[in-house]
Amino acid sequence: MVSQIQELPEHRSSRSVSGISHRQQFTRNIFFHAVLITGAVIICLPLIWMVTSSLKAPNRLFTVPIDWIPWEFRWQNYVEAWNTAPFGRYFFNSLYVSGAATLSNLFFCSLAGFGFAKYNFPGKNIAFLFILATMMIPFHVVIVPMFVLMRDLKWLNSYSALIIPGAMSAFGIFLLRQFIMTLPDELFDAARIDGASEFSIYMRIVLPLSKGPLAALAVFIFLDNWNSLLWPLVVTNKDEWRTLAVGLTQFQTVHGTQYHLMMAASTLVVIPMILVFFLLQRYFIQGIALSGLKG
Amino acid sequence: MRSWGELQVRPKIYHSETRTMNFYQRRSLWGITFVLPAIIFFIIFAYYPMISAFRLSLTEYNLLSPPKDIGLGNYDYIFHSDRFQKVLVNTFEFVGGYAIPMWILALALAMIFTQEFKGRGLYRTLYFVPIVLSETVISIVWRLLYHPQGAINALIAPFNGGFRIPWLTNSDIAPIAVIVVAIWRVFGYYMIIFITGLQNIPTEYYDAAKVDGGNRWQIFRLITLPLLRPTTVFVVVITLLNGFQSFVYQFLITRGGPNDSTNVLGYLIYEEAFPNLNMGRAAAISMVLFAMLIVLTFIQLYLLRQRYE
Repeated sequence: MVSQIQELPEHRSSRSVSGISHRQQFTRNIFFHAVLITGAVIICLPLIWMVTSSLKAPNRLFTVPIDWIPWEFRWQNYVEAWNTAPFGRYFFNSLYVSGAATLSNLFFCSLAGFGFAKYNFPGKNIAFLFILATMMIPFHVVIVPMFVLMRDLKWLNSYSALIIPGAMSAFGIFLLRQFIMTLPDELFDAARIDGASEFSIYMRIVLPLSKGPLAALAVFIFLDNWNSLLWPLVVTNKDEWRTLAVGLTQFQTVHGTQYHLMMAASTLVVIPMILVFFLLQRYFIQGIALSGLKG
Repeated sequence: MRSWGELQVRPKIYHSETRTMNFYQRRSLWGITFVLPAIIFFIIFAYYPMISAFRLSLTEYNLLSPPKDIGLGNYDYIFHSDRFQKVLVNTFEFVGGYAIPMWILALALAMIFTQEFKGRGLYRTLYFVPIVLSETVISIVWRLLYHPQGAINALIAPFNGGFRIPWLTNSDIAPIAVIVVAIWRVFGYYMIIFITGLQNIPTEYYDAAKVDGGNRWQIFRLITLPLLRPTTVFVVVITLLNGFQSFVYQFLITRGGPNDSTNVLGYLIYEEAFPNLNMGRAAAISMVLFAMLIVLTFIQLYLLRQRYE
């Protein structure tokens, strides 16, 4: 990706053709940095404000001018926030739900993607279109009947309600099918001659070869579930089952005026996400690039 | 011993003959087995609820007593409701105010990012950070930033004499305030998509244009834009689809207020269904939203088809 950027004409073109002198290039770079620094400031200020506010005394949040560095660092805000609501439980729920949904997606999407990519059976194309078409159904359309379904199944306030409706994704199936189609058939035939069963072909050949798209899909599904608010909000009303997003919303409703604690709680929620992002940055960008291919 | 062995072998041969006969059928069976869980899943969690939503939209249902069939009553109600009309207009305003600046901003930044300069990777990473953060946290933080005594008013105080702009309590300002947050969170995502799209344009086109003496604007209009079209169509459609389904910002920042000025379809459906328990009416509103999104999808298909002609 990066190497391709470097090949863009502006950079490597000879001066005589493009007419860009070093000085023009210099002014251009100044302009870029001015724009991008403004953007960076706009991105960072709210986050910096969140972190500093989380360490302030309640009466120091709304000062003019803003204290960008707290007068005193009140670390006990974090302890108080943590003790005011069962954040440990919320955190575990988010982790469990997002993790389970991700694993389920990886397994079922790659399995179905493999089925659609490398097998022939009657009605295959129709079935594939049938699944793809669900991408056009907005979540708001199904939320009411889904809620009724969850209630009828007695799944309200349970992990089943939080995980199972998101256990597969049409986009994941599409992504994996497109990828698996590019794998050579000879590979599978060779394995069959060696006596491998179809399922072990999936386990031992398809899965290891699909690591790239699987990683991108995992990042996407995990993030989606971790950040999801509407569905968990609708199917849970007990702290025991709330995820972080819902728990934080609940915290805002109940302790809405304790702004310093709210910022401490928000910071707690955000830190793991930022850490994960910097560790897995490559897969995030890859996932985005892949999702762009969808159109 | 020998006859025993033969006896044991014979059925095996017979068995393997049937296997070769049904070789392709057996394989198809495996294929069906692999895709079957997905098909069942989407019947239960996509098609059944969709049909069920349509049926519910024809009833009055409060979750407690069984649904009562009222025909098109819900549709009749919402289309004669001033509130619904206001929300519909708000939704279009939100989508327009969210999507159009986003396209321009994301494309402009992507064009900068496809140039060579120092610190590019760092900026790109930074611009991407808000996407990772949840809409929930972002909404909670921005709600405080918009507080009359909050950070934004404190920052602009030296320039406007300390006048406290009522960001979230004025019906004219609040919709813009919500749009700003929505754009702030995701522009980095569309920027990355545009960067990928720009990189897929072969360099030869630019070289040829330069040799022919094209200026920057001509190159942008006659080469970049047409060749970027698949990416642009994708970004346009996804921003519109997401815009029409916006919910979290309205829910957490303004609760649809003040005076319904930031209420949009995504929030109205939630509000009618969950606090108000008007399941039938919520389903009817969701069908209207669905119809709008289907029209949008067909426009997308049309635009994408033109690409190949």
